[in-house]
Amino acid sequence: MRAQVIVCCGSGGVGKTTMSSALALSWAMAGARVVVVTIDPARRLADSIGVELDNQPRQLPLTGAAQGGELHAVMLDTQATFDDLVDQFSATPEDAQTIRNNRYYRFASTRLGGAHEYMAAEKVRELTQSGAFDIVVVDTPPTRNAMDFITAPDRMAKLMDGAVMRWIAMPATRSGWRALEFGSEAAARVLRRLVGRGTIGEIAQFFDLFRGLWDGFHARSMEFHSMLRDPRTRFLLITTPAPSARSEALYFLEKLQEEEMPFGGFIVNRHVPMPVHALKPEVLPEHGPLPDIQWQQALEDLRTAPELTSQIAQSQHRSISALKAAGPPQASCWQVPHMGRELHDIDALHTVSAWLPDIDELI
Amino acid sequence: MSLLDKRIIIVTGKGGTGKTTIAAALGLWAARSGKKTLICETHGTNRVCPLFGRTSDGYEPVQVHRGLHVLSITSESAIEDYVVQQIKVKKLYKLVFRNRVMGPFMDAVPGLHDAVHLGKVFDLAREVDGDGNNRWDLVIVDAPATGHGLHMFDSPRAMMELTRVGPVYEGVRQVDEVIGDPTKTALVLACLPEAMPVSETLDLWKRLGDRKDQVAACILNEVIAPPRSSTADWKVAAEHLRTIDDPAVKEAVELTETWMDKAQNQRQARDLLAQEVKVPLIELPLLPRRDLRFQELQTLSQELDCGLEPE
Repeated sequence: MRAQVIVCCGSGGVGKTTMSSALALSWAMAGARVVVVTIDPARRLADSIGVELDNQPRQLPLTGAAQGGELHAVMLDTQATFDDLVDQFSATPEDAQTIRNNRYYRFASTRLGGAHEYMAAEKVRELTQSGAFDIVVVDTPPTRNAMDFITAPDRMAKLMDGAVMRWIAMPATRSGWRALEFGSEAAARVLRRLVGRGTIGEIAQFFDLFRGLWDGFHARSMEFHSMLRDPRTRFLLITTPAPSARSEALYFLEKLQEEEMPFGGFIVNRHVPMPVHALKPEVLPEHGPLPDIQWQQALEDLRTAPELTSQIAQSQHRSISALKAAGPPQASCWQVPHMGRELHDIDALHTVSAWLPDIDELI
Repeated sequence: MSLLDKRIIIVTGKGGTGKTTIAAALGLWAARSGKKTLICETHGTNRVCPLFGRTSDGYEPVQVHRGLHVLSITSESAIEDYVVQQIKVKKLYKLVFRNRVMGPFMDAVPGLHDAVHLGKVFDLAREVDGDGNNRWDLVIVDAPATGHGLHMFDSPRAMMELTRVGPVYEGVRQVDEVIGDPTKTALVLACLPEAMPVSETLDLWKRLGDRKDQVAACILNEVIAPPRSSTADWKVAAEHLRTIDDPAVKEAVELTETWMDKAQNQRQARDLLAQEVKVPLIELPLLPRRDLRFQELQTLSQELDCGLEPE
């Protein structure tokens, strides 16, 4: 049976990497074979667990895990994944080499719109079907447009579509253009004028070379497309109480519903709980063990903290209520309190995982 | 040279560091300093207008304050502007670029979307009114998050390398001349005083290479005010306060120490940043209200004023 896939989505800076790692860790501790895929070029996961990561799963040391529990991590290397795919789908090693040497390919494989997300999708597909894991946790790339990751295979498929490639690669003869729709000749002329003939030539060569790889790419895209809609997949929306993160999460939810992808719940990170007690000024002694000026300063510090906490908590409460109200009626919402210290070691991840759902609560 | 004498300011940084808020506060500051200012959002986002209680109006600048306008750029509209400018015939544009096969092709040219964004910014910066005066003194760009933000900044050079000759090469070369000129274009880095955002900013700083001299300032957002007490005094006070048999006092002591720890971590993160990033570091205070309104923006823009134009 293929692995369960948990996709963590959210806008930048909400703690996606930390939440994905903490989820993976807690499920591994509970006895599952888990791999977490991070796509972040800024090496934050590596920072938080202190292990060098690369494009292949690396097993991380775990102490006290239940029987069978394993934690692995992968840090996506877009270029390496793209190269692997080219090797797999090329008829001969020489063909693969020609593609790899194409100047446009060097550009396209890392900077092409969606290449990053597309390769992330490919990596997830590969790990899910490898049989080596029970759960694949995906930390999605930080994108402005939250849907980029999900739509990447479709967009890539469109780009690789035979029609586009034929059109671009075709020799600019009248008979060649005639087969295409009205306007193409003018389009090609404008394009050559804008981008320059040499560049078009190189792009054309790239697409021409790629033609043989198209079937393989297309099949992979379709597999990923259905995998995202599978009953064994869940999307978790990671957010903070900040209004901008919240609106991003809600936008994402709307898209998930449009695309009929399974929503697993919200994780609200950096939640500041309301202070439980109200501080009465009269309980604070006027004099203390410090000179009066210093003592009054200390009392001022003491009064400020609950006040600031409660102002932030109130503002957050409004925001979280708005999130819940806008979500589906029975949507789960896990709140992870602001820890007051930074989370960059494995102990911190253990602490966070206490607030997060078990895998059974999700699927 | 003051930041106000530049023509273009690009605000970039990790996601969640408050780039949009900083761009808005910078805009308010510049407008109050008498500059005709335009804030450009990228990739069609519409977050600035709501901060001023306004709704956005698509591809036309919306006035949100005296001397301050906001515009949201999308790739599609920027490409259309650019191509129409080049081929002079709008009808031909529609014929060619609304073509079924063109959309995916435009996506296939690396850096094109970023380059047209900057091209649009470049055009806005040199736009003149009927009297031949600049329509905008200053254009502030709310750029995408770090990795991508740097791509945008580099995109004219990437396009130059890819095209090598031709009108696009000429076009992006002109854009790069302005974007790469430290006297005309400044970068402002947005950061939070926390370990991960700081490490990402340090990474960005390294990758900036020879363009470091374009960084005019690094703005640290959400800085917690330092406690009034010294650490030693607080320790003595806390010990005494803990003996008071009142749950509210115990909770307040805990909360105070949590905030003090956080403030201490923030100072460490800031110092780490200051060691490497040799530009003015400007601190903006943590505001308890998370859904910012005009009032909060004003507070932030006054803080920027103190930081950027010291007496």
